[in-house]
Amino acid sequence: METKKFMGFLPVNAISIKDLFAFEKSFVNLLAIAVTVVFLVMFVVGVGNYLLHGHHVFNVTREHPWGLLIATYVFFVVSSTGLCIVGSLGDVFKFEALNYQLFSKRAIFGSIVTILAGFAVIAFEIGHPVRMMIYNVVSPGLTSAIWWMGTLYGLYLTFMIIEFIFLLRHEMRRAQVFGFIGLAVGLAAHSNLGSVFGFLNARPISNGVYYPTYFILTAFITGIFIAFIMMGFRYKLDFPPEIKKMLTGLAKIQGFLLGAFLFFAGWKMLTDVYGGMPGRADVAVHIFHSWTFWAEIVLAILIPGLVILLGQAKSHVLMFYASLIGMVGVFFMRYNLVHDTQLKPLQMMKTTRYQLPPQWVEYVPSTTEILISLGGLGLAFVMYYIGTRLFDLDESVTEEAPER
Amino acid sequence: MARYGMALDYKNCINCKACEVACKEENGVLLGADKHRIWVGANAPSGEWPHLDIVSSTFMPSQCQHCEDAPCEEVCPTHATYYDENHVVRVNSDKCILCSYCMNACPYDARYVDDRTVTVDKCTFCSDTRLARGETTTACQNTCPTKVRTFGDLDDPESEISILLKTRDHFSLKSHLGTHPKLYYLT
Repeated sequence: METKKFMGFLPVNAISIKDLFAFEKSFVNLLAIAVTVVFLVMFVVGVGNYLLHGHHVFNVTREHPWGLLIATYVFFVVSSTGLCIVGSLGDVFKFEALNYQLFSKRAIFGSIVTILAGFAVIAFEIGHPVRMMIYNVVSPGLTSAIWWMGTLYGLYLTFMIIEFIFLLRHEMRRAQVFGFIGLAVGLAAHSNLGSVFGFLNARPISNGVYYPTYFILTAFITGIFIAFIMMGFRYKLDFPPEIKKMLTGLAKIQGFLLGAFLFFAGWKMLTDVYGGMPGRADVAVHIFHSWTFWAEIVLAILIPGLVILLGQAKSHVLMFYASLIGMVGVFFMRYNLVHDTQLKPLQMMKTTRYQLPPQWVEYVPSTTEILISLGGLGLAFVMYYIGTRLFDLDESVTEEAPER
Repeated sequence: MARYGMALDYKNCINCKACEVACKEENGVLLGADKHRIWVGANAPSGEWPHLDIVSSTFMPSQCQHCEDAPCEEVCPTHATYYDENHVVRVNSDKCILCSYCMNACPYDARYVDDRTVTVDKCTFCSDTRLARGETTTACQNTCPTKVRTFGDLDDPESEISILLKTRDHFSLKSHLGTHPKLYYLT
């Protein structure tokens, strides 16, 4: 009786555990399942290792206190904000001529899934996550960008869940209101994440307005990459005309955003290098010579940009593959952001006679960090898969259902 | 209430490391923990023999700068880092969530993870040990054989440190960042 009542309130499909395993046994599906299971096992092993040995199993140091897990957390929350932005094109801003509403419900669900995966990863980087939940409330540090980021992301998740429920119930007006609030809070949270780096006056390479604004731009880019990936899997690359129309629209936006991002990244590097500011110029030159920087530029900007340009935004299948490549580039983008901030050793007075002080801080992620990070991806995959079974994420009708 | 600071007559330092030992002993810093609460940097003479620049061969004792505008205090999400009644920058380990933001934000690399409490720690000017017992010196100052360190109340015009800062030239580290360190290097 209670279940029926709940299902009346929240339209969910009545599925059993057995139904989760009832899928077409195609090569791609089996590969996806195998990858997800491997990632989940990695997560369990990584977390187990962390619980046994604490932070010592991470390669983070006093000089490089933030490592791969922070980069992975940023990767997930950027994905979440991006999906929220893309989802809101349809259900908040009502750009229905280009069919953006067809992706809204899936996007909002994706934004919930990715932020939960991000929280799962960061829980093992923060030394005392339970203490965090208590003292964030009873002893808030209002001057801290991390406090604002964490608090706003908590609120954002709440609004996303409420919006998703209204979308499921086809209460589009309410979904629009909560979608708008969620978007505003999400953008605030996300730019605060940028300010976590932008406020650091000890780190000239990150200090300033660049990261808080660039985060919003790259979130939008990430959201569109994921939109192509999700829709590619949903329709097995055989897109119906209404979806093609939507994807063409998204690809055009993406082309514009990638162009803008090229300007952002280009001028950031040029002003850093030619500005000549100590602690910024030398670090920028060092970054310029790192392969991860070029991985970011080539994979996240140039390849998808060229595919959009050459295909005139209509080569949807190619864009699916370019988006997969783009997401690898986005990962490097996040890794670079975190690592590059900490490249420059801060205190050169810890010198030892007849030994040159280190010029750059080195960092290579540990096995456990890699296990937990890939495990986060596995969590996102499995949550998304369960969601596709549990909820009807496709949107086909545009007319509003009567308010209940 | 005081406003504690420290003056370092660093050219007197002979790198005997007695300050590091005294600090570890007094504050329970783990044995083998290198450059944790305080440290002494050693600069080799520059130039090539026989044209060595003797002046460049110095020892530079350092530690948390106890900034007036401490970036670590600003960025702490749970107020675990705070100014105590004597303007000393302290860490409440019960509130520290080990997000490591303060370690990233400190321009002086003065913070580290304390394996005893699994929280971030730093120099406290012996506030919870010697000062709490009513003593007026820090362990590092008390043990220094060449009187490199002078610790005291900057608000008291008659204190030794106030007089030193009025009569000797001095500089602060990374003063362009506006953190207003309360560690002064006498020249």
